[in-house]
Amino acid sequence: MSVIVEALISLLLIAGGIFVFIGSLGMAHLRDFYMRLHGPTKATTLGIGCMLIASMLYFWSVDGKPDIQELLITLFLFITAPVSAHLLAKSGLHLRLKHADKTQGKPVELRPEEVGDKPVPHPDKGHG
Amino acid sequence: MTLLWIALLPLLGVLVPALTAQRGRSFCSLATAVLPATALVMTLLNVPALLDGEQLRFSVTWMPELALDLAFRLDGLSLLFNLLILGIGLLIILYAHYYLAKDEPFGRFYAFLMLFMASMVGISMSDNLILLWLFWELTSLSSFLLIGYWSYRSDARKGARMALTVTGAGGLALLAGLLLLGDMAGSFNMGDVLASGDVILADPRYPLMLGLVLLGAFTKSAQFPFHFWLPHAMAAPTPVSAYLHSATMVKAGIFLMARLHPAIAGSELWSVVVSLVGIVTMLYGAWFALMKTDLKGILAFSTVSHLGLITVLLGIGSPMAILAALFHILNHATFKAALFMSAGIIDHETGTRELKQLGGLKKAMPVTALLTTLAAAAMAGVPLFNGFLSKEMFFTESLATPVLGGVSWLLPALATLGGILSVAYSLRLVHAVFFKPAREEPPKTPHEPPHLMRLPVEILVVLCVVVGLFPAFMATGLLELASEAVIGSPLDFHLAIWHGVNLPLIMSLLAFVVGIALYWRHGNVRRFTQQFAGIDARRVFERILISIGYRSEQLIAALEGNSLQRYVGWLWLAALVMGGIGLVQITDLTGAAGNQPLDGILILGAVMLMFGGVATAATHRYRLISLLMLSVVGLFVALTFARFSAPDLALTQLSVEVVTMILLMLALFFLPQKTPRESSPLRNVRDMLLAGTLGLVIASLNYAVMTRDTLSISSFFVENSKPGGGGYNVVNVILVDFRGFDTLGEITVLAIAGLAIFKLLNRLRLFMPHSDGEGRVWSPDRYPAVLTSISMTLLPLALLVSAFIFLRGHNQPGGGFIAGLITAVALILLYMARGVAWAQERLDFPFQPVAVIGVAVATLTGLGSWLFGHPFLTSAFGYFSLPLIGTFELATALLFDLGVYLAVVGATLMILANLGKVTTAHRPVTETSGKDTDAAAATSSAKEPR
Repeated sequence: MSVIVEALISLLLIAGGIFVFIGSLGMAHLRDFYMRLHGPTKATTLGIGCMLIASMLYFWSVDGKPDIQELLITLFLFITAPVSAHLLAKSGLHLRLKHADKTQGKPVELRPEEVGDKPVPHPDKGHG
Repeated sequence: MTLLWIALLPLLGVLVPALTAQRGRSFCSLATAVLPATALVMTLLNVPALLDGEQLRFSVTWMPELALDLAFRLDGLSLLFNLLILGIGLLIILYAHYYLAKDEPFGRFYAFLMLFMASMVGISMSDNLILLWLFWELTSLSSFLLIGYWSYRSDARKGARMALTVTGAGGLALLAGLLLLGDMAGSFNMGDVLASGDVILADPRYPLMLGLVLLGAFTKSAQFPFHFWLPHAMAAPTPVSAYLHSATMVKAGIFLMARLHPAIAGSELWSVVVSLVGIVTMLYGAWFALMKTDLKGILAFSTVSHLGLITVLLGIGSPMAILAALFHILNHATFKAALFMSAGIIDHETGTRELKQLGGLKKAMPVTALLTTLAAAAMAGVPLFNGFLSKEMFFTESLATPVLGGVSWLLPALATLGGILSVAYSLRLVHAVFFKPAREEPPKTPHEPPHLMRLPVEILVVLCVVVGLFPAFMATGLLELASEAVIGSPLDFHLAIWHGVNLPLIMSLLAFVVGIALYWRHGNVRRFTQQFAGIDARRVFERILISIGYRSEQLIAALEGNSLQRYVGWLWLAALVMGGIGLVQITDLTGAAGNQPLDGILILGAVMLMFGGVATAATHRYRLISLLMLSVVGLFVALTFARFSAPDLALTQLSVEVVTMILLMLALFFLPQKTPRESSPLRNVRDMLLAGTLGLVIASLNYAVMTRDTLSISSFFVENSKPGGGGYNVVNVILVDFRGFDTLGEITVLAIAGLAIFKLLNRLRLFMPHSDGEGRVWSPDRYPAVLTSISMTLLPLALLVSAFIFLRGHNQPGGGFIAGLITAVALILLYMARGVAWAQERLDFPFQPVAVIGVAVATLTGLGSWLFGHPFLTSAFGYFSLPLIGTFELATALLFDLGVYLAVVGATLMILANLGKVTTAHRPVTETSGKDTDAAAATSSAKEPR
């Protein structure tokens, strides 16, 4: 294994570790749901992506042939994580979770049923 | 081979009425009669061979593990009974043709009758104890159907149930007895059992076995104290009574005692028990026959009495007594069938069976009167009729037997008493119906029945007379064969009407004189007996049944009281006890292999598992949180599998976990989000104690097992996976090849469960909450655009992954089950993201055929191996080469796996998609909903409710 590859892998691993740590720290430390959402969905996803790429590079250099499985996992992760984050945020808004004063953009403004002028009935009209 | 056909033809005959009932009663009756007639002819064709002393046997191994062979024999005893069963059966078909009312479903009646006939023929010809028992039970079941034929009548239903309960319980005792008997004799083959009488008599288990077998025989043959079901079975149509309760079913017990006579009869116990029970039954039945006022009731009790007589003779057990018993079986069947049919004719033509309303019928029905009188004379034992001969033989044997030792004089005295009663009730039957003037008018104006309806009675009465007049000519041959079959050696005897003036003749004369006198003073006797309160056997029986049911319910209520928690509690307690017993028996918990190394990841995993488990239980009142905790457990189980090199299991666990979570989430929609506190502290302590102890015991057991080197079968699978199944993935090869039969069973269960859930969900209308627990209405943004577009992108990718997992399954982790779950999850995601209406439009086919086709594909793959002469589910594999792609393997296991895949996809979607549908406006509707907004959505689901 050449030094450059080794350095690249190390760099990716360290970066991955730092990002995952920051994500976890954010989740533990930040004050409201909307802020905490950033940590696991963005930083951690990026961190795991780094580690997966590092793993792919490592086994490529050891086995001598590329293996795209890790790449696919990364792809799936990057597709699904934003969706989960989006849905979580929407639920948070819908449930009117408490927010810190510093949070920018007041959730109330984003709640669709209160943007419209009249209350929206349940699509299934409630009791069956 | 003809033996098999004799036994099978009546069984095939069950189908004939079902097929021909459409074409009118005459055609149906004729067609039904063809097969039993053929069987009768085939039986008769075997007679010359029997006379030559040939051993007629037929045997095919059926289930050797259960000692059950399809074995038939035809000896003298079987011949006698076959003639009775098939001959009288044919007469009954003719009789029933006229007896049943126009609008009654005669096809069903004939089918039941044929089933009964087939089972009786089976009993008489079985050459294997278990087979005999099988047919024995079949007679109980088919007689239940026949007795309850008029199922709209309460007395018919109750009578049928009583008969089934008594004879069914007796049948269970008989099974136990026969198993013991076969075990003692070392074989279940009838010939071997009959030949090992000495071994059986010397066995210490003999009394137990005898008791059980006799219990079976006595219940079937209505011996005291089990006689009570027979009079109540008279609620059956008269053809049934004439057939079952004169000639066949009640004779099955007698037949059994005669058949097993060489094997089990040689002891004093047998003689005393059987003859005492017989004599009590005889007198009891005769007395009540004299007291009854219902025509069929009289006949029923007289049947009980005559069965008792035959039982006494079998109990005495000397060769001449056996001969007398067989002769009386024959005679009783003829005159009693004739009498029952006459009673049916009287009932049919006058509309009543009550003696009160009958009388003076000799003017209106002279021929029937003559026939009934002749048959009753045979029953009373008047000279020149067949009943006289067998009764004389009975008197002779009762004088000769030493069974009761010092009180041996009792037997002839009681026999004479029985004779007196039988003369009296026979006289009463004839006199009260035909000769005495009527006290009340019958409901219908009596007249003679159609001639053909009377024909069976005429034939039987002629038989009674001819046998009575020429016994030596008519019956000797048959009786020689039959008695040889029972006794084992030829018996030298001579049947004659006149034996000179001897003690039996004097006993007969006495019986006549006193019997006539008894009937003359009958009124006084009746007045005397009316002082006693009668017992209604049915009431007592029903009361006992109800009380048994009530007690059982009380016991169940005390134990589990319809509480699922307590039910599970008992289950766990049982597991705890069993596991605890196993643990106590080992000396050292840690085995020879010792502990495995521990590392941080393992500890962390274990801690998380425990945390998940405890948290699930602790948060159970908040369902959503509890569910999340449960998913933590599931996830860590999957990780544990991955850690211990079981990638297949890990993949399966993961996909099952996802599906389960979606399922539970959907179910949660209908449940309150919080549950109130339901357990008392005491109950909590109890449950914690139980759960904790059980956990400790299971953990200790696991530890004990895992620290030992155990011989397991896994090495076999590992070694044979590639050479035998053609795959490197042992787990998959086990699933689709080695244990393919299990898998087939499992996917069948899965498909059935899916169908059942589908059926349950169909038209289910649940309360749909319009807001969550805190009163927040659901978000109006049902299908977020991000989710929608991403799920569309993911679908092909997920299907690709699924195909990849499926194809590589044979050699690497994967397979049809996991692939099926992945496909199902991908499709469910689509349902969730785009809504039911959208998805349904695009997946416009029902899922139930998918599951069914899956099971069919798997089954057909398994069956396919038969074409190549291999056992079911043998897999074949080969290697093929194609240009560009190279060499690859094809195995039939892949086809089987495809079946698994389809079954899993179909069943999972059937459950999830339908459960999901219930939560929306697209739930299946019973009536077309015409509401404005629902209309458009409902059209798609209303056309094809899924």
